[in-house]
Amino acid sequence: MADTDVAKARTAPTGTPPKAGNPVWELMVRNQSIVVPIVALVLAFSIGAFLIRTQGVNPAYAYESLFRAALGTPEGLLRTFQKTTPLILTGLAVSVAFRVGLFNIGAQGQLLCGAMGAAWVGFTMKDLPGIILIPLATVVGVLLGAMWASIAALLKTSRGVHEVISTIMLNAIAIGIMDTLVNYPLQAPGDDIARTPEIGAGAKLPEFGVVPSGFILALILALVSAWVLKRTTTGFKFDTVGKNKHAAGYAGIGIAATTIYAMALSGGLAGLAGVVETLGVVHRYESTSNNGLGFDGVTIALLARANPMGTIPAAFLVGILRSGAAKLQFDTQIQPEIVDLLLAVTLLLVSIPIIAQVIFRKRAASQAALSSGWGA
Amino acid sequence: MKAKRALALVPVLALALAGCGGSSGGGNAGGGGATDADCAKAEVLCVGLVTDTGKVDDKSFNQSAWEGVQAAVKELGGVSKYVETTDTKDYGNNIKQFTDKKYDAIVTVGFLMADATAAAAKGSPDVKFIGVDQAQPEKDAPANYTSLVFPEDQAGYAAGVLAAKLTKTGKLAQVLGLQIPPVEKFAKGFEAGAKSVKSDIQVTAVYHPAGTNAFTDPVWGGNEAKKALAQGADVVFGAGGKTGNGALAEVAKASGAGTSVFCIGVDTDQWNTVPEAQKCLVTSAMKNITLGVTDLVKQVKAGSIKGGYFNGTTGLADYHDLKGAVPADVQTAVADVVKGLADGSLKTGVTL
Amino acid sequence: MERLWEKNRVAVILSAVVIVGMYVFWFMGKARAESMLTSAWGFAVPLILAALVGVVGERSGVVNIGIEGQMLISAFAAFFGAALTGSLIIGVLLGLGAGMLLGGFLAWTAVKLRTDQIIAGVVINIAATGITSFFYKQGQTLPGVFPRWEIPLLKDLPLVGKVFFANGPFALATILIVIVLNYLLFRTRWGLRTRAIGEYPQAADTAGIDVIRMRLVNVTLAGLLAGAAGAFLSMEASSTFERGITADRGFLALAIMIFGAWKPLQAAAAALFFGFAQAIASQLQADKVVDIPQQLINTLPYVLTLIVLAVAAGRVRAPAAEGVPFVKGQG
Repeated sequence: MADTDVAKARTAPTGTPPKAGNPVWELMVRNQSIVVPIVALVLAFSIGAFLIRTQGVNPAYAYESLFRAALGTPEGLLRTFQKTTPLILTGLAVSVAFRVGLFNIGAQGQLLCGAMGAAWVGFTMKDLPGIILIPLATVVGVLLGAMWASIAALLKTSRGVHEVISTIMLNAIAIGIMDTLVNYPLQAPGDDIARTPEIGAGAKLPEFGVVPSGFILALILALVSAWVLKRTTTGFKFDTVGKNKHAAGYAGIGIAATTIYAMALSGGLAGLAGVVETLGVVHRYESTSNNGLGFDGVTIALLARANPMGTIPAAFLVGILRSGAAKLQFDTQIQPEIVDLLLAVTLLLVSIPIIAQVIFRKRAASQAALSSGWGA
Repeated sequence: MKAKRALALVPVLALALAGCGGSSGGGNAGGGGATDADCAKAEVLCVGLVTDTGKVDDKSFNQSAWEGVQAAVKELGGVSKYVETTDTKDYGNNIKQFTDKKYDAIVTVGFLMADATAAAAKGSPDVKFIGVDQAQPEKDAPANYTSLVFPEDQAGYAAGVLAAKLTKTGKLAQVLGLQIPPVEKFAKGFEAGAKSVKSDIQVTAVYHPAGTNAFTDPVWGGNEAKKALAQGADVVFGAGGKTGNGALAEVAKASGAGTSVFCIGVDTDQWNTVPEAQKCLVTSAMKNITLGVTDLVKQVKAGSIKGGYFNGTTGLADYHDLKGAVPADVQTAVADVVKGLADGSLKTGVTL
Repeated sequence: MERLWEKNRVAVILSAVVIVGMYVFWFMGKARAESMLTSAWGFAVPLILAALVGVVGERSGVVNIGIEGQMLISAFAAFFGAALTGSLIIGVLLGLGAGMLLGGFLAWTAVKLRTDQIIAGVVINIAATGITSFFYKQGQTLPGVFPRWEIPLLKDLPLVGKVFFANGPFALATILIVIVLNYLLFRTRWGLRTRAIGEYPQAADTAGIDVIRMRLVNVTLAGLLAGAAGAFLSMEASSTFERGITADRGFLALAIMIFGAWKPLQAAAAALFFGFAQAIASQLQADKVVDIPQQLINTLPYVLTLIVLAVAAGRVRAPAAEGVPFVKGQG
């Protein structure tokens, strides 16, 4: 974890922390990055309980129905995993970009490119066997996502166009292009809904019991990303470019090349999220199916503090909340937006340094800034 | 210790926030205090509703459908409840909430839900499904799946005729939501109706830029209506949820609203749902979702409901206070058109 | 002239496009030109106000990605405030207050607690969506509509007169705000200090400026502009509050802010350009002059923006210290 820099503790409130040497305490201090989110979650759900109570509902009952729906049944679990999968991937996409100091707010557009690419391969060549079709659709989708992100990277390195502005524009352009495609040339014949034909049976991703194969893929990619960022020269280059451009220049790291590479990687991951949605859940491209997933990636990356492994629990939390919201409303008539509020409070509490300071006093770890603004 | 105080502040804020009101919609158990635990019993009528992405108080089709359910349950007694969809991939799961509890009838709203509803109908043959605006599957349509559909083009056509007879400038404008079949049918019907009166009439149409906000952007709708008025249009047809409502409200602010400049609403009688547009709102091209849903739920209770398409009714809303602004001969002519469309002697000629 | 070009390439190109475009439409008909410009301006006003929230924040060294949420809550507070109390004034005040409150929240978390600034903004956005959706109630109407004020003399200018100088209070105020803010930022002591704490907070601190305090005040006050943008949306540009009424304008405003190189006047030019492109796209759709699906036509403003940026080499530099929490004695 990047933020165990205990020595740089901030001016934390003074007090007498428990005796040093208490092994449990030491363990907690060392694993602040796990303890703090748990405390934050408990606090967030307590606040949520207040809100639920004001609606005249017993909070324990509400939470029980939410969690039971999300985790208590096989189909609930499957749904939760399905919702978690694209969130891990878009979370990774945004995290990777953060590492080089880029704010990829365009994961949504890249995801749409990936989803469309996979769908196009999946229905035009639907008679091919799955063993060829799935990899082919995946490669096309990932490449399209990477390509779309590379436009922003190239505009940045060659023309100095800021990635926040270009990715916002590219999101809108991607939506326009995809909507045109599904309303005209690629629309399923005879369908009144703006969507492509269904992909071939071979292209559909299998599920292992309650675990979708996309989920496994996302877990593997989180591991790989963590490893690449932490243990390889690529990760070192990313971090150097992200933290100190001058140092990167002196070290002979090509800033432009690294920027393009990282952005393409980020776009590829976002594209893969779209691929998995198409091949694993929606089984076609439908213009409303992917709403908001790319922006969720920003939330996930922030919850995870741009740490690839952190995207897994972060995405899982959001996946559970989203997966159980319908049952929550059915049982208690509480609007599903309660889930947004829980999420906002959790994100806030995970991020503000108060909790760490209250619990760990002087030994509170300082948090590394994710991004220094829009960079330059 | 500052930090600690700040931490304590968070729940207080939350409490304050929670205190400032809030509503939870949701279910109501009419008649006899039945709850959905009783849905398995044959004598208790349980009706569930799944909204399309959007809320049950959306002043638009979700709300109309829910009002239809409530009206029926109020009359017949029983239990009604809704679940609001936040993600189109959840349709199946949201429907399942009701089939799990053995509801008798489930209303699903919106044309995107057709596949999920048909699949659920196959899985629960004892439950009656009512799909609003949905196309039936081409083959093997389940017998317990009824699609409530509307000839939107007819309502649009009648509105177009009225608009063409009201305009002095010969320019009509349409401010529309997302380009989807129900909206397109309204729009094309409107144009066809207007052209049937004067073939050289100018009818413009702008759809909201594609995106997630196409039906919830009254600001855009208002801005487009303003532009259309400035370019000489004097009747504006706002068809597209709250985006269209924004157009209506903007026309109501224009000088001459209700005397030389008019607006026409859509879906429900928007005299009631968009009171800020009353000054210009001459009528609304209505799609009687509420009536249709109530009717079908009653058929469920009576056991007479059939699968396949069920045609709902469309028409024009009352002129309300602007009756005086519509000449008597125009009123008669429009009434004739509405009648002709209803009995089939008049065709709109609209195809998508 | 050369310096003007060097320093304001983007602004010059944008103005040129808008002016040339306007004349083209002028030849096609006066009413049409006027209506296009009106539409562009109507689209630009909330974008400008929102972009200025970002400009003030980032010039002070604080990134604000929560503008969307600030606007949404403000629009909510303004509309329901006015509807429930029956007073437009109270509505406006509540809207402004809500914007400022959230500005204060951002300042407190980002500056005082040194939370990652992007997180603080995202929290505002998510919470705003949740809160406004949760507490939304239909069936409310505003007690009245804003008056339309006309500025004497200016309103008689050809073409621009009616567009810019005969309008509702917020649209009129926007012009004033842009000019005043531009002056404040580049010609006054406050502006110098603000830019200093955004560029070299350590140096500013050494020079005796209370960096923390100034950032707190600036970010909080910038919330007023977000409040104005929100109130404009729900009370002037429409007369209703709906869930999601901001329609991503807060994010677009971030792009406008960068497009305008963190300068109020340039941001206004960028927003107007964008609005103008939007007006052209909708006009192409309405006139059916080209046989291109509207879904594609509507990407025009975004494509044009990218082209202008690429051509004009939008190499702009963000305030150096933005996003970095200030800790006295560190750095």
